[in-house]
Amino acid sequence: MKVKLWGTRGSVPSPGPETVRYGGNTSCVGVTLSDGSLLALDAGTGIRNLGISLGDAPTRLHILLTHLHLDHIQGLVFFAPAFRPQTEIVIWGPASPEASLRDRIARYISAPLSPVEVRELPCDVSFRHCPETEWEIGPARIRAASVAHRGPTLGYRIDDGDVSLAYIPDHEPALGADLDALEEEWISGFSLARDATLLIHDGQYADEEYPDHVGWGHSATSHALSFARRARARRTVLFHHDPMHSDAHLDGIAATARRRWEELGGAPDAIELGAERAEYALSGDGAAAAPAAAGA
Amino acid sequence: MPIVSQKPLELILARNLMSALSTPAFLVDEGGLLVFYNEAAGVMLGKRFEELGKVGPQEWGSMFGPFDDDGKPIPYDDLPLVRAVRSGRPAHAELSIRSTDGATHRVEVSALPILTAHGSRGAIAVFWPSEAGDGNGALAT
Repeated sequence: MKVKLWGTRGSVPSPGPETVRYGGNTSCVGVTLSDGSLLALDAGTGIRNLGISLGDAPTRLHILLTHLHLDHIQGLVFFAPAFRPQTEIVIWGPASPEASLRDRIARYISAPLSPVEVRELPCDVSFRHCPETEWEIGPARIRAASVAHRGPTLGYRIDDGDVSLAYIPDHEPALGADLDALEEEWISGFSLARDATLLIHDGQYADEEYPDHVGWGHSATSHALSFARRARARRTVLFHHDPMHSDAHLDGIAATARRRWEELGGAPDAIELGAERAEYALSGDGAAAAPAAAGA
Repeated sequence: MPIVSQKPLELILARNLMSALSTPAFLVDEGGLLVFYNEAAGVMLGKRFEELGKVGPQEWGSMFGPFDDDGKPIPYDDLPLVRAVRSGRPAHAELSIRSTDGATHRVEVSALPILTAHGSRGAIAVFWPSEAGDGNGALAT
């Protein structure tokens, strides 16, 4: 399995010279399964560049949405393959008692917010509610589970052969809970992340920022580390960076995270902050997912 | 893929909320099994949840009741929490609970089902001191 981060930012795109290294695009992770099947995890503005990277060849891919906040769907109408008739897209997302996934996404892909409507997309697009039980895409087994955030929100686990990716970009498992003391079965998202080869997890706030954002649905650095430690993830990428955090600020958070991870008994190189276009080749040889050189 | 027994998010969030309340509150899963009660409930019962371990309905009944006006045990199926889980409707009752020190507490119980897009997840019940009093003073909270 290969993983590439196309958008690591949370909340709102934040382009500019001060965010050029970690990136300003919102949540999107590209996954290439062992048989070449393509997945996109979330469709923030990062999916625009993912679409460009796919070129003009016929494409079939699955887009797995964690939830429908704008920073996770904003890129859908700028995803070039969606405007080609030879493209087949299956969009998965959380069910809601209020309306179908298609109808809820159509609120964004419709006037006055969008110049096109869902029914006008030239591609073959379908919408599916994630089941409560695992399902298969190509060689991978996919599992979705509700996690602590604001509104119906999923985390995902993708198992392909002997490697696994857990993706929980918007998550506040420490809300009203002591992650270090709680039994595993009572930790939001635990079953998704347990023993994952690579965990991509919310790390939006520095610890000192969290008290002003309790209940906003995101994690402080120490919460993300506690979650990763409890889940025994082999490598953890902190994700969904706050749009107010510059590269320099994120460097500071990264240094703090490595130091605390080491204090918890982990290897400092097993924790890092997600950077746009960073790539990971997941291997099952016992080593942590090795970061490949970031692309241009 | 390792499948870990994990509580549904709705129960996790309910437990987190209950943990912050000073009102005795109980939580059961979709099968009606008691999965948590908070510190205030532990004070009422005389035993913290962490000390209780896993107990089934029968054992629970012999330890704490509940009892009706005549002091007879209330059948498990008639308890507000169980009714709420099974019917998907709120349930209310007045009953007595016996704590580990032998004291009897007269309480009113309001149970609410936890319903989601995927069906029932369980129910939460909040206990209030009965207006008629319990003979043992107000519930400690």
